[in-house]
Amino acid sequence: MSVDTQAPASAPSSVAGNAASDVVIETRGLSKIYRDFWGRKKVHALKSLDVEVKKGEIFGLLGPNGSGKSTTIKLILGLLFPSAGRAFVFGKEASEVTKNERIGYLPEESYLYKFLNAEETLDFYGRLFDMPAPVRRERSEQLIQMVGLHRARRRQLKEYSKGMTRRIGLAQALINEPDLLVLDEPTTGLDPIGSREMKDLILKLREQGKTILMCSHQLADVQDVCDRIAILHQGELKELGRVDSLLKVRDVTEVHARGLTEDAKREIAEVIKRHGGELMQIDNPTVTMEELFLESIRESDARPGRRAGS
Amino acid sequence: MRLTPDQLWSFYEWFIPQQGLLQGISLAITLAILGLLVSYLVAMVRLGPGEGFYAVAKVISDLIRFDIPGTRSSRLWAIAKLSFMEAIRRKVLVVFVIFIILCMFAGWLLDLRTDHPAQLYITFVLSSTNMLVLLLGLFISAFSLPADIKNRTIYTIVTKPVRATEIVVGRIFGFSLIGSMILAALGLFSYVFVVRGLNHTHEITTISQDGRQGKTEVAARHDHVFKLGEDGNGYTEEAKGHQHTITAVQLDNKTKYVVGPPTGELTAKVPIYGRLTFTDRSGNVGEGLNVGYMSEYRKYVAGGSLSSAKWQFERVRESDFREGNESDDDIELTIEMNIEAFRSFKGDIVTPVRGSIILRSPDESIESQRIYFLVKESVDRKLISRTISGFRNNQPATLDVFKDIVMNEKLEVIVRCEDSQQYLGMGASDLTLQAKERSFAWNFAKGYISIWLQMVIVICFGVMYSTFLSGPVAMVATLATLSLGLFGDIIDRYFKVEYSGGGPIESIIRMPTQKGVMIDLDLGNVALEKVIHNIDYAIMYGVSSLKGVFPNFSRLGTSDFIVYGVDLFDGLLLRHCAITFGFFLLTSLVGYFFVKTREMAA
Repeated sequence: MSVDTQAPASAPSSVAGNAASDVVIETRGLSKIYRDFWGRKKVHALKSLDVEVKKGEIFGLLGPNGSGKSTTIKLILGLLFPSAGRAFVFGKEASEVTKNERIGYLPEESYLYKFLNAEETLDFYGRLFDMPAPVRRERSEQLIQMVGLHRARRRQLKEYSKGMTRRIGLAQALINEPDLLVLDEPTTGLDPIGSREMKDLILKLREQGKTILMCSHQLADVQDVCDRIAILHQGELKELGRVDSLLKVRDVTEVHARGLTEDAKREIAEVIKRHGGELMQIDNPTVTMEELFLESIRESDARPGRRAGS
Repeated sequence: MRLTPDQLWSFYEWFIPQQGLLQGISLAITLAILGLLVSYLVAMVRLGPGEGFYAVAKVISDLIRFDIPGTRSSRLWAIAKLSFMEAIRRKVLVVFVIFIILCMFAGWLLDLRTDHPAQLYITFVLSSTNMLVLLLGLFISAFSLPADIKNRTIYTIVTKPVRATEIVVGRIFGFSLIGSMILAALGLFSYVFVVRGLNHTHEITTISQDGRQGKTEVAARHDHVFKLGEDGNGYTEEAKGHQHTITAVQLDNKTKYVVGPPTGELTAKVPIYGRLTFTDRSGNVGEGLNVGYMSEYRKYVAGGSLSSAKWQFERVRESDFREGNESDDDIELTIEMNIEAFRSFKGDIVTPVRGSIILRSPDESIESQRIYFLVKESVDRKLISRTISGFRNNQPATLDVFKDIVMNEKLEVIVRCEDSQQYLGMGASDLTLQAKERSFAWNFAKGYISIWLQMVIVICFGVMYSTFLSGPVAMVATLATLSLGLFGDIIDRYFKVEYSGGGPIESIIRMPTQKGVMIDLDLGNVALEKVIHNIDYAIMYGVSSLKGVFPNFSRLGTSDFIVYGVDLFDGLLLRHCAITFGFFLLTSLVGYFFVKTREMAA
């Protein structure tokens, strides 16, 4: 957690010194109060948030509905203005347009123009980055292939399924090869295969050195891909740290072994008892539902026609 | 067609000496100060005095330092193209279909018994196109940005390096582009509709035994009488605003007469307007007489006296009067007059009142003899050959109109009434020199350019309102602007001149109580009447003041030029272009401030 920084109050950490130059996103006392037409306070959506997202990490924002996740993302993107505090992206104020040169944003519901097809969509967003025509064409082609929409490239987006819409949404977010990718509920609406592919892609982008900020309700997804997370509740930061560290239960030991006999298991139980430990469970592990589903689909692809029980 | 003096100004005259530029700048400065003050007050309420000042200063600084220099044509084009495609998706092309249906049923709408079918046709196509296109501009511009904000598609735009300038200007460009395409299609269709609709010919029904005169059959609800020359060729008399050529053709040893297509109804005359002054009965400079009519447009000169009307013309160039390949000797000076006679006694009612014209050089040393004419009391043309008799320093001389009388491109034309105790009435545009005609098609196109300019202004305001209002409210605001622009002059007149009957509140009371405008509003409570009067005054004052800020569409309309076959002055069109550009800058700037300071996700 980086609540305090050594940098002067006016300058973000990312520009304050070499040690902190790998900070991509920084919020300082970031607050947001929604008001009604008369200026009366409706909701205190975010309360003095201080976080840093470092270069090359996958940072997850977690929290129940109304916890302030989307508000945080919108403040970072400049879609909302803070009521107090400041947000910096690449050392620039969040309200500065030039920061967007290096950002890709996948909104929660892929708010795209439904009357365009995939090619037109990517061409349009490419133009917004002032990309030359040959670069736009090449990049669009790569992305269409990458998100698997080459067969539907000429269909209007209004004819797309939700999963396809998410994929073209992701493609538009990547059109400028961004250094920072902001993903709002990236796996929502995707089937398990699509969800897995999305997570694999997120990990692959991290390997390419990109920074990813995501928020999600799918806790398993966050656990799968995020390096660090922040848990928000009622607009306040409740937890911040590395996923593996936060999830670790420190007074419980887990041993995985293969090929043990019943006698060996009994002997292990006795050893635990002899050392004053408490045996909580000794059982065969289970796979996750996602792993079972994906294995089943892989099997089906490998052996078409096979049915359950055969 | 009556013109106001300001319509005759050249672009330069309007821009510099008549302070068009200065007025534009002062309006911009006033609005800028007002805008900054309001912005600061809003920011101060939201953020406090210091932060509020910083926020407003930052927006201005961003505009100058980043957003204007950072505006890229590719992004502008991307947003313009998107707006274009969005408009197509909204089926705006249906406007074209509506227009075609209107034209198909034009026969029911247009009364072809009129004296000038061409004017009727042109009025119909211009006014219907104008209305359709302005409404189109209003609808497509007011709903686009609010729809983007509502659907949140704006999220994917403003999270890209798109400047607020590009969001506003790109939309104006896109909507103007689709509007231009539709307007061009409507213009082309209208031109064909007018030309084909008016095209007709006649068969000859009767011809005299000597083959020199006759009459045509009735076609397009009229017929013509005609006179032919010795060679059998000639023209019909004018009817319904046009003539036909008649050509004799020998066929199987028989003479057949072929009536050509109508001529003279689709014109683009190039009148040269002069400055009108009057002299009184003693020949001294005066104001002209009022014979008791309410209208002050025409003033009268008395017959049998030194009373005269004098037009001073500038930019009279010989080359402007050359028709086709005319030789220098054949060039004529064409004067078009529409002079009214006022008879103080009936006299010989069959004989028209007589008038005379004198052409005079500006230094008054050279002038022509009196050229007499009979007052037709309708549009009358006088062709004056270039060589005429006159006086040089009071000595009789043969004069060349263009070389001797016209000096430094200046000429004076003096009109007198020759019949004692009768009067001739004249206004500034009642006597013009007619230079050679220009192409009707180009003049028609200029009329459409004029409509296009109005459409662009409507789009600019629609986009501007949509940056801070919801779609329906933006539409109503744009409609209010349009109405104020179309009827602002009427409101102004009621406010400044004809205030009888009161303003809106008083009218609401008068209508159900059936109180006419000429009687006092007697409610039995003087204080209440005073309050109503003051509220009405405040409303009317507000509307009248607003009118000065918003575009005056009634002044931007130029359809009268096309309808009456007068070439639309290039200076006037250029002035309207400059005004449109001014409104484009103004609305873009206001739109920019709202986009820049608006929370798109709020």
